Amino acid sequence: MIVRPVLFPSLGVGGVSLLQGVALLPPLALSVFERGSGQVVLLAVALVTAVFWDLVFASVRKHRFYFHGITTAVIVAVLVPSALPWWQLALSLSLGCVLGEHIFGGRGFGFLSPAAICLSLLLLSFPQVQLEPLSQSVALATLPGVLLLLVTGLISGRVMLGALAVIGGLAFSANPEVDLIALVVPTLFGLVFLTCDPVSAASTKSGRWIYGLLAGLLISIFSKDVATITSAGIIFGSLTASVFAPLIDHLMVLAHAKRRQMRQRARQPNV
Amino acid sequence: MLGHTKIKKGLPASKEDALAQDVVHDRRDAGSAAFLSADYRGLRPSLSVSPGDRVRVGDIVFTDRKHPEVAFAASLAGRVASIDYGARRTLSALVIEVDSGEQADDSSDSEEFGDPDNGGVRRTLLKRGFWPAFLTRPFGRIPKPDSVPAAIFVNATQASLHAPAPSVVLEHQKEKFQKGVDLLTYLTDGPIYVCQAPQDTLCTFSERVKGAFFSGTPASGLSGTHIDQLHPVSLERQVWSIGYQDVAAIGHLFLTGHYQPNRVFSISGPCSAEPKLIRTCLGAGISQICNGEVTIRNGRHRARLLSGDAVTGWESAYIGRYHQQITILDAPPEKGFWHWMSRPSAAYGALIPTAALERALAIDVLPVPLMRALSVGDSAAAERLGCLALVEEDVAALTKLCTSGADYGMLLRDVLDDLAGETV
Repeated sequence: MIVRPVLFPSLGVGGVSLLQGVALLPPLALSVFERGSGQVVLLAVALVTAVFWDLVFASVRKHRFYFHGITTAVIVAVLVPSALPWWQLALSLSLGCVLGEHIFGGRGFGFLSPAAICLSLLLLSFPQVQLEPLSQSVALATLPGVLLLLVTGLISGRVMLGALAVIGGLAFSANPEVDLIALVVPTLFGLVFLTCDPVSAASTKSGRWIYGLLAGLLISIFSKDVATITSAGIIFGSLTASVFAPLIDHLMVLAHAKRRQMRQRARQPNV
Repeated sequence: MLGHTKIKKGLPASKEDALAQDVVHDRRDAGSAAFLSADYRGLRPSLSVSPGDRVRVGDIVFTDRKHPEVAFAASLAGRVASIDYGARRTLSALVIEVDSGEQADDSSDSEEFGDPDNGGVRRTLLKRGFWPAFLTRPFGRIPKPDSVPAAIFVNATQASLHAPAPSVVLEHQKEKFQKGVDLLTYLTDGPIYVCQAPQDTLCTFSERVKGAFFSGTPASGLSGTHIDQLHPVSLERQVWSIGYQDVAAIGHLFLTGHYQPNRVFSISGPCSAEPKLIRTCLGAGISQICNGEVTIRNGRHRARLLSGDAVTGWESAYIGRYHQQITILDAPPEKGFWHWMSRPSAAYGALIPTAALERALAIDVLPVPLMRALSVGDSAAAERLGCLALVEEDVAALTKLCTSGADYGMLLRDVLDDLAGETV
């Protein structure tokens, strides 16, 4: 059932960003509330940086200006540690926005998530940076947003289920005692806003299952061990999986064409 | 008789009140009727009349210059008011207006229809202007006069509660509909599929005439969905589709000798004063028909009059040849938050492959790869993906859902024209 056309008949890219922004509000509010003024400063730096690049590219390319960068800034601000020097955030976010989004022509024209690029560049360039695991309350605050994005048909439940199944399955096989809820809930934020990002995920039905399974596998591999999923694991896992998304889609298209041909032959007994 | 298929994919039906199906209001006040390029794309007419000529109902107004056998008949008695050409002398619009003079009789004559087994049915349908009622699949064009389809699909489904119900429309025409369906068997060696709602029995079935039952989302009312389920097409295997009202009119012609120009249409939509069924002529002027049917809401200054339903229809001054609905919508917002939220209209935006697109097509084609192939005009990729099964109305849901604002119907038509050109 598609709910979106009833709610928003013709949603533009701006509308997609707006819905994503609404879904980001509760986890952002909780993380600011928990971590205090240091977080506020980082959020402000992230917003200024992202909007700055939006403005620069809108004026150079003479496009209509949208606030797409805000969602990238918020995702990054929630995931980075509050002790991070502001210039490191500004630098990596600039690279993420420009390389992940603007050089392709803006939101939706690229094939990777700018937030995942920004965070992985941050972790690779400044190895001393350690991402803090998300608190249980921030993770729970993500849930309303998850529901909103699933119901409006922006993100695919298949990707999410596939990734969660692999993460849970691997953790369970390594240690049957593992607390699956405590393992899975903190990964929700990263899964929804990095792995399930519609721009970077696979775009065919069966491709989404495969992409979700692959992302889950890579997230488990990139984490410390399969029983403790880290934010860094989610970031690198999502980024690597999204590199494979176009290939997965291409294979699905080939398989579908083959199936169509077989079906056509099956329906053609006398001709 | 074939089984019942419930179509679950496609856009959900809109939530407005269903219309009262029990009464059909006769509207004889359509002041004008027209043949439009939107229905007959690329058709170059060879005219039988000139502006100011008086025509009777059923008179041949023009024929296709490429296939002179294919004739187009007037649906209204009056004078030819204007003839406009588009690029390369294609038809843009031919308008017939009712004049004040006495209503002439229709052009009935008690001619013999010829031996049905020896192409008599085909010749009569061509000569009396019924050939344009058929559309080929692939390509969605009027068939060539000598072509033989692998099957014919009669679309007698009701796409949504806002469309006329075939059981109501055919209530007093069952005999004519049956006659029409039987006549279709002379045009093909293959089966005739009568696609209808599960509760209806509109005609008797036989070895050649098969019943197929469809229900579900509005996409269950599209011929493309029926064809994809029952008889997938390819370049070598062409089928035809035709609407049930046209079939009944064909039956009427062969039973009485009269050209039946009237069809039942529904008027519905959020801005319609009172959703209802009306009977008027093919191609009737929408503004005259909708006089007094519109209520303006939300402080807007105008409403949009659509020929067709809210998803597949378009704004038009006259009812489209293949449409059965008139939909009255709010005019889109011109400024403010909702205007900013909606898609850019000038330049194409990005295509964000959201999960909602996955279920947008009721036909077995991958939506996002198809949209990508269409938006770059890659005919070979689109053909591989199965675009031959589609016409504009099938991909209207993609246009509605996509963030880019691209008109996939138009893009599909370009690709289909390209593919058709290669096979001719």
